[in-house]
Amino acid sequence: MDAVFSGLASGFEVALDPFNLFLVLGGCFVGTLIGALPGIGPINGVAILLPIAYGLGFKPESAIILLAGIYYGAEYGGRISSILLNVPGDAGAVMTTLDGNPMARNGEAGKALSLSAVASFVGGTFSVILMSFFGPALASYAIHFSPSDYVALMVFAFASLASLVGSNPVKTLLAALIGLMLASIGIDANTGVARYTFGIPDILAGIDFLVVVIGLFGMAELIHLVEQQAAGTLKTLKIDKSFVTLKDLAFVKWTILRGSLIGFFIGILPGTGASVASAVAYGTEKRSARDSSKFGQGDMRGLAAPEAANNASAGGAMVPMLTLGIPGSGTTAILLGALLLFNVTPGPLMFQQRPEIAWGLIASMYIGNVALLIINLPLVGLFARMLTIPQQFLTPLIAVLAFIGVYSVVSNPHDLYMITALGVFGWFLRKLDFSLAPVILGFVLGGLFEDNLRRALSISGGDWTILVTSWNSVALYVLALLVVAVPVVVGRRRRARAEDASPKAPA
Amino acid sequence: MADRIFAGVLLLVAIGYTIIAFTVIHAPFQYDPLGPESWPRILGIVAIPCILFVLAKPDVASLGVPAKTWGRLAALVMMLFAYAYLFQPLGFILATFAFCMALSLMLGSRLLPALAFSAGIGVAGYFLCTKLLELNLPAGVLTIFR
Repeated sequence: MDAVFSGLASGFEVALDPFNLFLVLGGCFVGTLIGALPGIGPINGVAILLPIAYGLGFKPESAIILLAGIYYGAEYGGRISSILLNVPGDAGAVMTTLDGNPMARNGEAGKALSLSAVASFVGGTFSVILMSFFGPALASYAIHFSPSDYVALMVFAFASLASLVGSNPVKTLLAALIGLMLASIGIDANTGVARYTFGIPDILAGIDFLVVVIGLFGMAELIHLVEQQAAGTLKTLKIDKSFVTLKDLAFVKWTILRGSLIGFFIGILPGTGASVASAVAYGTEKRSARDSSKFGQGDMRGLAAPEAANNASAGGAMVPMLTLGIPGSGTTAILLGALLLFNVTPGPLMFQQRPEIAWGLIASMYIGNVALLIINLPLVGLFARMLTIPQQFLTPLIAVLAFIGVYSVVSNPHDLYMITALGVFGWFLRKLDFSLAPVILGFVLGGLFEDNLRRALSISGGDWTILVTSWNSVALYVLALLVVAVPVVVGRRRRARAEDASPKAPA
Repeated sequence: MADRIFAGVLLLVAIGYTIIAFTVIHAPFQYDPLGPESWPRILGIVAIPCILFVLAKPDVASLGVPAKTWGRLAALVMMLFAYAYLFQPLGFILATFAFCMALSLMLGSRLLPALAFSAGIGVAGYFLCTKLLELNLPAGVLTIFR
């Protein structure tokens, strides 16, 4: 317990350094602006700005504080386009549109925006507090993990990814495999053997992480935006004078707390981020409500629950990223990759070896949350102005930012072709209902997965049974089985019950 | 159908990937029990059944993109490749100006706003990035700005 408070104290020392404080506030502000852009979510925002943040040459803790601020801000900003435009920035914001947009159409836009800001604040703060206690505890436990335990942890991560993310588990698994395969390109670090480089010098060192991120989340998004253009112009609802009252807050306080709790714990699960958390929180709230008839037509609970949950999951997703080196969501996978770019390896040792990064990041999230609440309540009108930026200028701007980012890091024009090609590939994946987050998770975890597997088998001299000898790994394999089996069994039982109830219903 | 075509291409790539893993990749000396070839082999062997499953049970029938949109997307990709090609030799300012003009006009902007926007992004973007943020961008033919 003492360690947590002294850690937090040292973290605030880092985060309150004037320059870092400026970065937290700037990151939150820019993040909100980007999140408010129609169709651009946190993951795209962080992806597009990551190489620029890297190219600025900051110290690692400053850069990661900036990126986390952008991530956090974009989670806040996403609700603006969801509520006023009915266009969710990413999968995690879909649930916000269900009740948020009807509220705005009922003439309660101001109330919806302020209520969701408060819900986001509570969810975010709640999860940062839990994170300050959970993180170090998990880290000190995970410090004893052997390579074979890590292999089991990865299996668990990919199992929960396949079973909880996306509509088709096979496609999600395949997406993760594509990421793992992309990661296997380049010279093998252990033996110096070139794999899948076909003699092309530009990919001898492997495909750069920044290139993959920008390609899949920047350029693919750009192509998507151009494709959507034909669909007609977007219509923004006006912000009115209505504002959230204490009575409203008292009405939804338990909803927000439940949403935060659900969000945090779902966020911790490897691979499952805001989209699952907000969907589960919304579903729980709707089922437990005594009168659920108004859900979908502008019920405050239906707005507060997913907003609290998706911000709580942003904090929850940081826990496995910082303590185990396994990202809890697509966006934290990008942050993990960013840390690796700075030669910082997140994992159980980070709280001891690089406390300024681990605790500095946590402290900056406390500050960021307060700052976001403060700038979001009065300035929401300014952010909403972002919705009216003409698409014909916004779209080229995204491409220019992506090109600047990629070029300024390595100055290799070859990378510019790579991001365009990966963008086309990512767009096809998206059109075919593959989720892109598993690809980036696979890409980030590929090296770690292979290294740990090879290390484990080197320890045992090639004996595969080492993978199941420790209790930690056996427990993780059981968890992996459960996370795959439970949704299947529950789904089958629910279907069976539905068929019992109406035997003649068409299958 | 769209799913099947994509999965078919993916299958060919995965088979190629696996064959290379089994035949070409080989360490001259055994450093560790697995070597560089085992991991790609495992990935390939797991991926192929997944792709076969998608081939057998596709769930996206068509991309739902009208022919006109295809034309616009093709033009976009061409512009991006041209931008990538011209980025270094022509320099950031000119390449960005040309790219922004082309794309914003295609997306329905009028001529004057597009001109102002493209010139603004090209010139302001260059000086903001190189002078203020100290990022590396190509000056290209406008060598006086270097």
